[in-house]
Amino acid sequence: MTVHNLYIFDRNGTCLHYSEWNRKKQAGISKEEEYKLMYGMLFSIRSFVSKMSPLDMKDGFLAFQTSRYKLHYYETPTGVKVVMNTDLGVPNCRDVLHQIYSTLYVEYIVKNPLCPLGETLQSELFNSRLESFIRALPFFSARAG
Amino acid sequence: MADEALFQFLHNELIQYVYKSSEHGEMENGRCITKLENMGFRVGQGLIERFTRDTARFKDELDVMKFVCKDFWTCVFKKQIDNLRTNHQGIYVLQDNKFRLLTQLSAGKQYLEHAPKYLAFTCGLVRGGLANLGVKSIVTAEVSVMPACKFQVMIQKM
Repeated sequence: MTVHNLYIFDRNGTCLHYSEWNRKKQAGISKEEEYKLMYGMLFSIRSFVSKMSPLDMKDGFLAFQTSRYKLHYYETPTGVKVVMNTDLGVPNCRDVLHQIYSTLYVEYIVKNPLCPLGETLQSELFNSRLESFIRALPFFSARAG
Repeated sequence: MADEALFQFLHNELIQYVYKSSEHGEMENGRCITKLENMGFRVGQGLIERFTRDTARFKDELDVMKFVCKDFWTCVFKKQIDNLRTNHQGIYVLQDNKFRLLTQLSAGKQYLEHAPKYLAFTCGLVRGGLANLGVKSIVTAEVSVMPACKFQVMIQKM
């Protein structure tokens, strides 16, 4: 059971943060292209899900899974998107992503006047707190499952 | 007391505003710090009137400093000063190991050069509070590792 990597995007598609813990295979394209690809995919899937839903939509797109990994998605009303790739053993972790947003992003980035919103996150405090938070998750183990 | 996030955001914007409205140039740094300190002075004067409404008169200077460290700091920052030192000749050093306005900035050396801006208002706050209690002083602050910081109070004898 493990967390592979984590992306944080803002409302305009800028990738604010990316960290990886257990990634065995790279995408084969540059990091900027990878972020654009991820953001574009999320944007399209969200509008697809809302259009094709046979019932009234409640939360919209939550997660997708393949035979090797699962991608969890959480979006705040302000447009901040938190995306986490984990392995298949992890159940719905929307509240974990919500916690990342509220206890880490809001506390250490929004409240930090020296971090301009809309740019890649530079605060070391945020990075170290995020690292310890992810490592403390019950479904994180350093070796890939 | 209202949510502390309100004051933090306002304080941060205040600092950005004072710096943006001054002309560009390194010399302006001192003037901005003075402006912020003077604002804090006026706020401190008002706050101390409010907080000491029902307390008895203070016996001496040390009593006044202890009040600032305990009650005043608790009312404004929801915690007490961690360490008070004095040389009994008019110099007091107030140490706060987890200063509320700096905790979100960093936990070490990053952004250290910007830290004094965020302490200026609080220096004025302390100076204004002491002034209204009859103690004339000069307050400076220094920070080496965030979020701990030290406020140095030098009492001015007439």
